Amino acid sequence: MEGFVKNAETGFERVSPGVSSAAVHAIAWLTLGNTIGLMLAVLLVLPRLNSFLGEWTYGRWMMVHMNVLLFGWCSLPLIGFLFRVYGAERGVTAQWCRPAVWLWSAALVAGSCSWLSGESSGKLFLDWSGYSRVFFPAVMFGLWVVLALAFVRGVRIGPKAGWAAVTAKMLGLVILLAVPFVIYTASGPGGYPYINPDTGGPTGQSQLESSLGIVLLLLLLPLGIASIKMPTRRGILPLAWTVLIVQAMLCAALGRADASHRAPGQWLGVSSLIVWAALVPAYYNLFAWRAETRRWRTAFLAWWIGLVVSGCIFFLPGVLDRFKFTDGLVGHSLTAVAGCLTAYLAFILIELTGDYGARLFNATWSFYAWNLGVLAYVLLMTVTGWIEGAHPEFTFVPGIARNVAYWIRVLTGAAMLAASLDWMLAAIRMTGPHVAAISTAVDVEAA
Amino acid sequence: MRRASERLDGWRGAALVAITYVYFLIFAQFAFLARLGECGVAETALKTVMAAMAAGGVLFSLLTPALVIRFAAARLLRFGLAACALAALLSLAPLNYPAAIAVAFLAGSGLGLLTITVVSHLPRWAGRRNPVLMAGVGAGIAYFICNVPAVFTASPSSQALLAALLCAAGLLLPAEVAETEEVPAPAAALSFRLALLSFAALVWLDSAAFYIIQHTAALKAGTWMGDLHLWANACIHLAAAILAALLLGSRRVSLVLAAAVLALGFACILLHRPDLSLSASLFYPAGVSFYSVALVAYPAFLSGSVSLRDRARRAGWIYALAGWVASALGIGMGQHLGEVPVLFVAIAGAVVLVPALLILLHTRTREAAVAALAAVLAFIVWRMLPATPIAVPAAAAERGRQVYISEGCISCHSQYVRPGTADQLMWGPVQSLEQVHQQSPPLIGNRRQGPDLAEIGSRRSPLWLKAHLIAPASLSSDSPMPSYAVLFRDGRGDDLVAYMASLASRDSAQAQMQAAWQPPEIAWQSASADDGATLYKRHCSTCHDSGGEVRQQWAAQFNHFPKDPPAMHAYAGKHSRAQLAQVVRFGIAGTDMPGHEFLSEGEIASLAIWLSQSPAQPLPLTTETH
Repeated sequence: MEGFVKNAETGFERVSPGVSSAAVHAIAWLTLGNTIGLMLAVLLVLPRLNSFLGEWTYGRWMMVHMNVLLFGWCSLPLIGFLFRVYGAERGVTAQWCRPAVWLWSAALVAGSCSWLSGESSGKLFLDWSGYSRVFFPAVMFGLWVVLALAFVRGVRIGPKAGWAAVTAKMLGLVILLAVPFVIYTASGPGGYPYINPDTGGPTGQSQLESSLGIVLLLLLLPLGIASIKMPTRRGILPLAWTVLIVQAMLCAALGRADASHRAPGQWLGVSSLIVWAALVPAYYNLFAWRAETRRWRTAFLAWWIGLVVSGCIFFLPGVLDRFKFTDGLVGHSLTAVAGCLTAYLAFILIELTGDYGARLFNATWSFYAWNLGVLAYVLLMTVTGWIEGAHPEFTFVPGIARNVAYWIRVLTGAAMLAASLDWMLAAIRMTGPHVAAISTAVDVEAA
Repeated sequence: MRRASERLDGWRGAALVAITYVYFLIFAQFAFLARLGECGVAETALKTVMAAMAAGGVLFSLLTPALVIRFAAARLLRFGLAACALAALLSLAPLNYPAAIAVAFLAGSGLGLLTITVVSHLPRWAGRRNPVLMAGVGAGIAYFICNVPAVFTASPSSQALLAALLCAAGLLLPAEVAETEEVPAPAAALSFRLALLSFAALVWLDSAAFYIIQHTAALKAGTWMGDLHLWANACIHLAAAILAALLLGSRRVSLVLAAAVLALGFACILLHRPDLSLSASLFYPAGVSFYSVALVAYPAFLSGSVSLRDRARRAGWIYALAGWVASALGIGMGQHLGEVPVLFVAIAGAVVLVPALLILLHTRTREAAVAALAAVLAFIVWRMLPATPIAVPAAAAERGRQVYISEGCISCHSQYVRPGTADQLMWGPVQSLEQVHQQSPPLIGNRRQGPDLAEIGSRRSPLWLKAHLIAPASLSSDSPMPSYAVLFRDGRGDDLVAYMASLASRDSAQAQMQAAWQPPEIAWQSASADDGATLYKRHCSTCHDSGGEVRQQWAAQFNHFPKDPPAMHAYAGKHSRAQLAQVVRFGIAGTDMPGHEFLSEGEIASLAIWLSQSPAQPLPLTTETH
């Protein structure tokens, strides 16, 4: 899975095998997830086709669909990021980056087999059960070992880094070490987050907490891979971190307990996130990014603003009551994962791999097919969610409007799948046997 | 102009590949056999006739390489197309045994000449921009056409005529193109011997599976059932062919062949059970299209051939041995064994996959070793963990809860009735948070693609639940709910029903709330008996009409046999419309009569009005949409 791109000045340029294989594996999981998603959308409009599936029923495929997108597509690019930040692509750990990525994919294969065979924890997005509940955390631990070794090597022989960077990386390692154990424990049948009694969903405090976690990641990532280009506007940096700390304190003050979204503290807490609709774009504009990232960076920021604003609105009393359990919130989730996060991951991968990533993601048609497909899906789901809020039977009682909505979902899914196939084929083109020949040539030349 | 010409070049190649494949699929493999049957050629005579076709095919596959360097491409192409068209036309005549042999030999020879000529010259005819894609598009279109219901179900004579007409159309395609300098071919994407073996294994599998499906009524019914199914097959073929072409464009021959053998092998194994033939029909077309594109693209572009003659020679061997001989062997296997043995699937899989796996292991030794080691270690740890829940819950409802989790019901159904909302009357009563937290884990879900199930046991009887899980559309017309009949082959379905039936709190306040409900005045004003009659047909007749699907299927298991329309009207005469509306909306507790919470107030009022009216005209006795 080694990637090579042609560079006009230097001939063929090698891309880090760890990062490029993380990108390729991520895209492969995205393509698989989208293929399954499209199949599920078709099954909704043609339920008779469900008999094709035999034991591998709709519900089981749904688990595979959601988990491979979350733990495959959304996670692997961030692993590439971690390789870069911890310097794992250099020295003795370089040869272990790609095996770590393969291991991650192996765990997802094991998980997919377990979901298809009917093993599930019953917890959405924490569906690790049986053997895969052990295998996946073990894989995470293996990845942690690679990062820890790279960190130790970096501290011992690498260029002198600032104490803040070393401390941050060490803190990051401590947090990452906890993740496998958290995943294992949280996937068990016991333990369930606090509930909003009026909706059955998460509380405002819980939403605020997880959103701040995402904001924390968004603020940290540029520090690991980009430099500041606008010293005159540096004030945004402390401002963003101060706001984050204040909101974290607010979150702590709200306390963890079952609580309704109608309690002012809960919805005001979530509404306070609106500030990030402006702060994150300003924060990201501080940094110098590769020119090739411009398209996806813009898309990410546009999706981010939409996500934050719609998220705050969706949680308001009255609005959440109407949208809970409906297509509207599914559309919101898609705004987060398919819109915002996907654009972000493409942007980060291009930043990490330069020309290689640009060749993967920067085709014009697939960029628009993806983003417009997601946008159409989100708009459709918001409208149908609004209808469903007043008429819960809308999605499961036949009718022209329902059927048209389902068919539009198929079309938008097809657009997204076509885009991901384009990225997959681009990845294959850059890692195929013809590239292996180039690889040999490069190696010979280097020797 | 030059660009337009280049584009035309590409489509010329695609069209020739499509014509060749359509001829082979719809005539040589299909219509001709049926025509022979119509002419009374059967048993041993049939085998001889087919052997004549194979002999013609093998002979001209091996002869044509010598011809391609002596004769112009256009001339050979015309000869091949004309021979094929003539054979198809001759097959329309009443054939006796010797005539059948002659026509079969002509068809095989024409096909041999045509395939080798097309493949040998494809680099010229498939354009420069994306020749492999053009080959894939041609193959995909051919499979698509053959699966179009009108073509697939046409009479053998019509199919033969179509094949002849397509060949005639091929004669009109300008075949001569300007001589272009032979571009030095890159190294073979897969060694020729391995490719030959792989193609032979794949064609053998395909031919055996095809023959078995054709000659087993249950499998044929399961794999080609109805127009929708044929359109689905056509789309799968086309999509797989294009995908294969895109992969082959990146020289991923091993990957494409591996995908083909996995799909075909899996389909062959599924075919062992006729009840799984529907699933097999999902994988079979994908596998076939994958290798069919490779069968054209490999000898034409990816075999590392250094000259036209070399390319023709390799194509000749592939089509003679892997195409004709392996196909005959596959048919023989189908005839004698009636199934593709698992051992043979394993051998075919090994032939195709092992070289690819060895290459992978050679180039990715560290990755494979780490993954294997970690998998084993994780397995050991998992087995050593004391908390590994192996024990099967004793109670049916507990086991059913596990089935609910395993099947991912949570993806579409919530179990949470929101207080103070319309949920409460529709799906209530509300559970306390303490009750929810006591569940391990709570199954609240986050999405309703179907109704909330927190109190499903209060609203539906076990019989209703079972009938609905087996055939959702029989009770809820056009329901998007998938059938879970598969769960009732063992005890899982009954366990699931037991679990769902247990989701009932029998709350008296809820019963009072339902008893107090009646449609608002505005609903009565907009309601009509005509609407009620339509709604009856749609939602009620399946249980209440004498010919209703559910009534007939589950007749012996109703705890209160559903009233027929006269009895319903008699019952209605003793109750007020408001009471009837409550029955329609909430059902009758303790019976199999379900509620219809999803109907609007106006619809419920219409049904109540219709029920309360004496039948002035004959009542509908047949179901409309179940």
